[in-house]
Amino acid sequence: MDVKADHIIDARNSYCPGPLMEMIKAYKQAKVGEVISIYSTDVGTKKDAPAWIQKSGQELIGVFDRDGYYEIVMRKVK
Amino acid sequence: MPARVLILGDGDAGTIMANKLRFHTSRKDVEITVVGNSKNHYFKPDGVHISFNMLDYKKSVKPTEFLFNYGVNYIADTVTAIDVANHSVKTAGGKNMNYDYLIIATGDRFTPEDIPGYSESARHFYNLDHALELQKELKAFKGGKIVIGQASIPIMCPPAPYEFTFLLDEYLNFHGLRDKTEIHYVYPINSVFTIPNVADYISKKMEERGIITHTLFNVDSIDPKNKKVQSLEGESVDYDLLVMIPPHRGQKVISDSGLADDGGYINVDKNRLNYKDYDNVFAVGDATNLPVSKAGATAHFESQYLSNKIAADTSGNVYNELYEGDVACTTVTGYEKGITLFFNYNKPPRANFDSKFDYFLKWQSADTFFSSMVRGIA
Repeated sequence: MDVKADHIIDARNSYCPGPLMEMIKAYKQAKVGEVISIYSTDVGTKKDAPAWIQKSGQELIGVFDRDGYYEIVMRKVK
Repeated sequence: MPARVLILGDGDAGTIMANKLRFHTSRKDVEITVVGNSKNHYFKPDGVHISFNMLDYKKSVKPTEFLFNYGVNYIADTVTAIDVANHSVKTAGGKNMNYDYLIIATGDRFTPEDIPGYSESARHFYNLDHALELQKELKAFKGGKIVIGQASIPIMCPPAPYEFTFLLDEYLNFHGLRDKTEIHYVYPINSVFTIPNVADYISKKMEERGIITHTLFNVDSIDPKNKKVQSLEGESVDYDLLVMIPPHRGQKVISDSGLADDGGYINVDKNRLNYKDYDNVFAVGDATNLPVSKAGATAHFESQYLSNKIAADTSGNVYNELYEGDVACTTVTGYEKGITLFFNYNKPPRANFDSKFDYFLKWQSADTFFSSMVRGIA
């Protein structure tokens, strides 16, 4: 991934729906065009966060497997 | 000289904590003081039934000061500042109180101001006044579109929105209004409840009953003039009656004292309930940001752990047990239908079948609560 995140949320070891709520909170605070990255160990978030990004019309940059966790990256487009 | 235990808050968590600790310690070893400002203790889970006039609300309210066991000092006052570094607490009444152990049980508060338009149009049943107001609205309701939801996560008693939804379905059927009413249920995440297997069970029942669900619906604003709820995700649902649990935050004094996260809740150790590196500052009940339901049933198990720990500490013993996130919660899934959910951090609850026994357990739970649970007996 060569996109630099403007906001990084470390929600590792936080349970559902914590990571998704953290991502939505970051989305509210971010400016249009900014990139938000969230780290999570919660399995459900891997499915729910992209679903939220799609439903809210934001851009999903990617879901990446990392060492013991995964990273979801999105761009706020509106 | 006895160890001074100071408990902030006189709701479920503060009261159960004080009474349990009194059972587990002698007055020679431990002095227990509770500071709170509630004139009455309202048993909130009854709000669902009170909305449908299925319970006499007078049974759900008791004077706070009479709920404490002999040997618990109760001070009716409001906490204005907490200084954990100097082991002191200030109150609006001018008291400056010191402690050996501090237990924060200040609960949460409603923040309707977080959602534009909320106060002008939304109804809920999370306190007695609103439950009675909603009861009047339901009596006057002649059909249309009812939208039920919650304006934030977390909220107290997470099953309450679905409990209300199922009882509403049966209430409308009973009054011959179901075929004239659309019921819409909106929920912030990608399912109808936060715990996956309970969500599957609830979702299936909603589908069977013709309840229309909208998931990933985070309430952004409410337009009272045009009667529309707008989500952050761009979806809009109109309504004739809106039953929306208000946004919650932790108490302001917790944030003002520098103890809170963004939501106003206290970050405590999930197994030991202590705040940061302090071994004499704890939080129980809704005031914590633990990944567990905000409910009296949670406070009950947390208080069990913490009263055992403090009893051991103050008598020179070692207590090696941990709090594992235990919760036991009885919820309504329809008229004379209920399920009891037992779970902890590592074991999710089972939700397999409705039980009439569980329904009545919930329906009369104020009696159980006031006669034993709040007294620290159960």
